[in-house]
Amino acid sequence: MPKSRFAWQGPCARIVHKRRLIDRFLDPSETHLGWALVLPAIVLILIIVAYPVTNLIVNSFYDIRLSRGLPVRFIGLENYVAALNDPMFWRALKNTLVITLVTVPGALMVGLGLAMLANLPFKRRGLIRLALLLPWALPLAFVGLIFAWFFHSEYGIVNDFIRRIALLLPSLNLKPQVWFNSPSQTMVAICVATIWKTSSFMALIILAGLQTVPASLYEAAEVDGASKWTQFMEITLPLLVPSILVALIFRTLTAIQSFEIPFSMPGPGEELQTLAMYIQLNTVDYLDLGYGSALAVFMFALSMATTFVYLRYVRGEKA
Amino acid sequence: MTGLLSSVRMRWLAAIIVVANGAFPALWIVLTSFKSEAELTQKPITYWPQNATLANYIAAFRDQPLPVYLLNSAVIATISTIVSLFVSALAAYALARLRMKYRDFILTGIIAVSMFPLVTLMVPLFEIMRGLNLLNSYWALVLPYTVLNLPICTLMLVSFFQDIPRDIENAAMLDGCTRLGSLWRMVVPLAAPGVFTAGIIAFVNAWDEFLLSMSLNAATQYRTLPVGIQMYQGEWAFPWHIISAALVIAMVPIIIVVLLFQDRVVSGITSGGLKG
Repeated sequence: MPKSRFAWQGPCARIVHKRRLIDRFLDPSETHLGWALVLPAIVLILIIVAYPVTNLIVNSFYDIRLSRGLPVRFIGLENYVAALNDPMFWRALKNTLVITLVTVPGALMVGLGLAMLANLPFKRRGLIRLALLLPWALPLAFVGLIFAWFFHSEYGIVNDFIRRIALLLPSLNLKPQVWFNSPSQTMVAICVATIWKTSSFMALIILAGLQTVPASLYEAAEVDGASKWTQFMEITLPLLVPSILVALIFRTLTAIQSFEIPFSMPGPGEELQTLAMYIQLNTVDYLDLGYGSALAVFMFALSMATTFVYLRYVRGEKA
Repeated sequence: MTGLLSSVRMRWLAAIIVVANGAFPALWIVLTSFKSEAELTQKPITYWPQNATLANYIAAFRDQPLPVYLLNSAVIATISTIVSLFVSALAAYALARLRMKYRDFILTGIIAVSMFPLVTLMVPLFEIMRGLNLLNSYWALVLPYTVLNLPICTLMLVSFFQDIPRDIENAAMLDGCTRLGSLWRMVVPLAAPGVFTAGIIAFVNAWDEFLLSMSLNAATQYRTLPVGIQMYQGEWAFPWHIISAALVIAMVPIIIVVLLFQDRVVSGITSGGLKG
């Protein structure tokens, strides 16, 4: 056995090897450089995502109620069982699903409409684009507050419009509403605000898709005598499907996490808690980290399932 | 002729609908912010402020430390954006340009991170930051925001880097540049617009974030703007005249960013900055 791996290479081998190491550092091979460049991103993701998630799953099997100062103890699936027997959890889940099922299709419809309108040949495109960017850029927390003021029962502009329309058209029998008194009416305000905030992002994505549809396709359809509606259904929509699907995945995932808008509405409080709000309450306010973790695992599973369903659909489209 | 006229009218109508939809809520808050409390609580409501007043703005600064919130938001969003851009630019270059064994696997992993529910992350992060005594510090938010923006920035930059012709790099290397040298001297300057675009998207994302900010940095001193804005309301009272003045102040920075960089923001959103 040679004492050193350089022993058989002669006296200069060690120096040559060192030289090579320096050269490699200054001008590394592609694979090494590649890994070196990706490394910081991977390390950060491991620290801030992978480790916490592992931590989360482990914690969900423990009783960690920091407010009581009791020692942490393993309780198996008790947190999960507690969640399944917790009416507050089911209510939060129901509210979250209602918001998701209303606002995702809602944002898609409104976004599609906005994109069609914005795609008309305007001179001042900049202004139109700006109007689409504004809802995207405003923080959700601001949007919640702004719409809470819109729906104010006494001095809100929504009720003002309703009063005016009622004066003009008494036959409609419209009445101003006390929006934040009942859960269902608060839910209307929450959904309107969410759709307003998210539809413009949909519109931007769809608009970008619309602008890649070649004009020659429409010209050909025109020659064949297809109506505008047929053109839309047969040419525009199918070509938009890929960009719409990607936008829908992300919209659904964020809808499942709805927090800010219901949180900033004055509404009937607990009644309209979403899953995200209930998780936050248990974790930060009650310091019940075990239960909070179990709830968060539910949320995680819900998101995974959503992604999975969409991806299957995307694959099905391709096949 | 009538057909043309109606189509021009249609276009005007379409433009008005789109602009009103986007701008009205912000505009209404601006109008509200100039009305006195007495004017706000009269019926029928006024649309245009009758006696425009700046009193609400003074009250907004008096009731809450708005400059502190603004500073916190600016510091946290700026630092996390810069770090995120640096880290993701390195990774994106490797993923776009170099022959790597597990390239697709790494890309998939990064996309998976972007689909991760933030609320889920909030629970363990709260515990970890609490354990490290980092609750109520800039770190508590800078680190997560950096990572949350990594996927979007990396994906955007990969597509930007792929658009830069390889020949430029090869030419630089023939002239004696090392690979890192050609990355620094040729690719980075050429990709600057793309990096800038990714930066704006990351900045807006960090600026807008609410849940982590509220959960991890609850102390007034480290509160960011979206959370700070919620502090004007009492248990039952919503002083809308003051809230709207504060909202206007809080909206100004983000509206300026969007106004200045709207082309870039749009190209960023549609090229892979898919989160909203």
